[in-house]
Amino acid sequence: MAKKSLFDMKPVKGYEKKLEDFFPMERRCSNCLGCKFVPFEKIKSNRFGRNCPSVWHYNFNTYSARGRFQLGQNIIEDGYVKFEGQALDAIFNCQACGACDVGCKVTRFNLEPLAHNIALKERAVEKGLAPVELKAAANSLTKQKTMLPDAKKANRADWAAGLKLKDVSGKETAEYVFFPGCQYAYDPELQKKAKTYVKVLQKAGVDLGYLGKLDMCCGGRAKQTGFREEFEAEAHANAAAWEKAGVVKIVTPCSDCYHAIKRQYALLGIKVEVVHAVELIADLVKAKKLKFKKTLDVAVTYHDPCHLGRLGEPHEDWNGTEKKILNQVHTWEPPRPRYAGTYGIYDAPREILAAIPGVRLIEMERIRENSWCCGAGGGCSVFNPEYSDAIASERVTEAQATGAEAIVTACPWCEINLTGIESDNGTYLDVVDIIDLVAKAL
Amino acid sequence: MALTREFYRALEDVVGGRNISEDPAVTENYRCITAQSSAHYGPEDTRTPKPQAVVLPGSTDEVQQIVKLCNKYKVEFKAASTFWAAMGFIGSDNAIQLDMIRMDSIEVDAKNMLAIVEPFAVGGTVQVEAMKNGLTCNIAGVGCSSSTLAGSSGWVGFGPSSIFTGIASENLLGAEWVLPDGEIIRTGTLGSDGEWFCGEGPGPSPRAIFRGWTGTAGTMGVCTKIAIRLHPWPGPKWIPVRGTAPLYMADGLDNVRAYTICFPSWDAYAEGFRLLYEADVCYLAHRQFNMFGRDIKTALVEIFTHPEKQFCDIPALVEDPYLKEQNADMKIDVQIVLAGFSERDLDYKEKAFDAILEQIGAHKSEYYLQQDIEDFTKLYLLRLARKNYNYTLCSSYEGNFGLSANVFVAAPLMEEAAALKKKWEQTHTGVAAVGGDSDMGSVSGIGGGGTTGWEFFVHFDGFDRDSIYDSKAHIDETAAWMKEKGLGADFGRWNTEVRHPDGYNYTQEEHDAMYSKIAQPGLATYQWKIREAFNPNHLTGSYYKTATPPECKGKK
Repeated sequence: MAKKSLFDMKPVKGYEKKLEDFFPMERRCSNCLGCKFVPFEKIKSNRFGRNCPSVWHYNFNTYSARGRFQLGQNIIEDGYVKFEGQALDAIFNCQACGACDVGCKVTRFNLEPLAHNIALKERAVEKGLAPVELKAAANSLTKQKTMLPDAKKANRADWAAGLKLKDVSGKETAEYVFFPGCQYAYDPELQKKAKTYVKVLQKAGVDLGYLGKLDMCCGGRAKQTGFREEFEAEAHANAAAWEKAGVVKIVTPCSDCYHAIKRQYALLGIKVEVVHAVELIADLVKAKKLKFKKTLDVAVTYHDPCHLGRLGEPHEDWNGTEKKILNQVHTWEPPRPRYAGTYGIYDAPREILAAIPGVRLIEMERIRENSWCCGAGGGCSVFNPEYSDAIASERVTEAQATGAEAIVTACPWCEINLTGIESDNGTYLDVVDIIDLVAKAL
Repeated sequence: MALTREFYRALEDVVGGRNISEDPAVTENYRCITAQSSAHYGPEDTRTPKPQAVVLPGSTDEVQQIVKLCNKYKVEFKAASTFWAAMGFIGSDNAIQLDMIRMDSIEVDAKNMLAIVEPFAVGGTVQVEAMKNGLTCNIAGVGCSSSTLAGSSGWVGFGPSSIFTGIASENLLGAEWVLPDGEIIRTGTLGSDGEWFCGEGPGPSPRAIFRGWTGTAGTMGVCTKIAIRLHPWPGPKWIPVRGTAPLYMADGLDNVRAYTICFPSWDAYAEGFRLLYEADVCYLAHRQFNMFGRDIKTALVEIFTHPEKQFCDIPALVEDPYLKEQNADMKIDVQIVLAGFSERDLDYKEKAFDAILEQIGAHKSEYYLQQDIEDFTKLYLLRLARKNYNYTLCSSYEGNFGLSANVFVAAPLMEEAAALKKKWEQTHTGVAAVGGDSDMGSVSGIGGGGTTGWEFFVHFDGFDRDSIYDSKAHIDETAAWMKEKGLGADFGRWNTEVRHPDGYNYTQEEHDAMYSKIAQPGLATYQWKIREAFNPNHLTGSYYKTATPPECKGKK
């Protein structure tokens, strides 16, 4: 009997969508401001009521999802605007954080602003018009298998030195393969945290391995920044590596990797079970395989990473048809997955924090599917750090308003981008990886 | 017609380089694609003219400087905040657009029950700040994502809670107003070193000029700050929400009740309106969900309250025996919210309400008494946060049979209007087939007593040329029918008098020809004199309706 492949490798219907396929959406957008504000039922103040970092910072309508719908129409359909000047600025200064997508889908059934924003980026990339820093990152992905500048493939597995981890690239097997992602693999500070993740999971009895020489970038950032070809190549390379290594389940501490594997790979037909480390740890805490013995006595607030939260919903296969009923009501048969952020990973990290003695969680105003982006998404921290920092500062300001002593998060990109950032009043707040709290309390 | 470099640099000096743009990626984004909005009346690809620059002022002082520069260089300007429909956009090639997005502050004066708001403060945020102080505000039917200042100073502004909070013009207190020539006026008490609490005086009282009945639609300079009245809110500082996106429901508002009332006839409906207003028991009264259409409204509420369902489920839901029965029961309906300021108060209101229902033979819909559906309805109506449900069905809609009239005049015509719409649904595939009657609107929305502000929603697909044309043709026929019935102009068509179908301003000669023939042409000639006094360079478009007085023709 032929060995059953984990990977179907056939893109799902709709994945091939090009910018031109978004014409109906561009024209059906109703300028409701759902892409500028947190859903109004959820807004708790005027100060923290906005959801899109891009239009919040730049203010011109072009920098909102609504504006980008009109921009797409102006460029592709009508030819009024070219891929140059502020068009490119608005296209690339989008964190691809998906806040607009949630705001839109609260009421609209047939618009996909995030996918449209990325399609604009992809077209600009095809024309060779991406910022040079992003081109360099994509080039690095192809050559060094990471989008981090200056990182080398040869050093990819350095983080695992000294750990007793099974290397599944050889003959060893493991129930879970630890997929660190580029930040945990290369950043010297985050390497320590990656080790902590591994030690904590091992302590709880998880059968854990890593990919050794087969480990590489997930490529998710390439997708977010419009480098579709590079992303697809990386995804297929990973799929082949996992196939070779006999990977069954992946656990990652990186929210970007989580999203890429769970959602973007699934669109390519690459289906592998992936969990974020917080999901696994929360399960281990519930199963009493991890027991917290120490009291930490700290008030914290939790920052929901975009790619773990609203973009972390599971992929659902759908193979339906588009139709109109009642003369003019546009719909799909059967119902098409909506991805409104409902089923993202919000509870697991909160359950962990609730289980640690002495940790008091004080929520910010914008949480869960309406979380404010840390600013690092969409490659913005690479090519426009001033803008990225401004978005991070807004988040630190919001966190400070809670009275918490630290921001806890579960994504290395968020951790890096929020660390050392001044709030509105010129002060700072500690940013803590959730694994550090876990390890301290064990 | 590009701006002179001298003018552009002068604007740049006022707002800073990052707050002005003439890049086509920005300027083309400030053209209203009228087929996508609820004010479509031209071809499907009509756009308002492209502004020569888009400017983002950050203060009243900056607005004043911009306006003075526009007068100096004779360039038209228009300010807008949330850009709902064509009204906020310019109407000439020689114009700049002011986007007021940077001015969004809200100050609540709880003691005096007012809020001072800037242009980009939207209903949703004004209300949330007011509720922290046990207060709320009128939110116009357009929804809480629209500018409170624009609705209050520039347009009609009635909404679901107007029976309790009044309409926009009734809520306008003091204002800070940059006139079309750049002078700043602070109206009412504000202009006499007082506070914001009164729009009439003892300071200058230009309410008739500044505000009027329909508002000046952004054609008389730029309003940079206003005070609005706030009203008592007996609920918590923030309405607790349960559920996950996209289904949000109010949680635990025990002293607030939401009902849907089913009437046996339109006569009972009209009489019910009168009695409800007289009894003064309603916190909110609005015919809301019928906007989706008589035949499918319950199916839509099912879909909204069961997120796993989508529009493809409508046909099955419409045929569901229980829902069918409920839908038929709600043929003539209205949504009502009662709010108790004390237990005794709520008890009284419930009793009075029940007595009225009994008197007119109406009853509460059992469907809407289901907890989740009641809580969804409460949140929907109290926050008006889902304005976009107006567009959900087909992506676009246009108000039709728009009527502000005595309910005893309007209600008897409802079935005839519904039949007219149903005929179009059956004969033209461009109009969504939802059951004819898709009326929605306020109870006692205007001036408090006895009048309605309602319209039929005509749902159409902004991506479908036939749909755009068919819906427009239907609306034109309804307008003719209304004229025949002596009902006056459909208020959805008011905009056609102020901007050409191609998106450009009317000339004075064209307005002269239009307004010299109206029933009271003196009104238009009076407006002309006002405009000449306040806006001597005619820099703000043709939404201000004027006719040149005969004695002044040819003088300018």
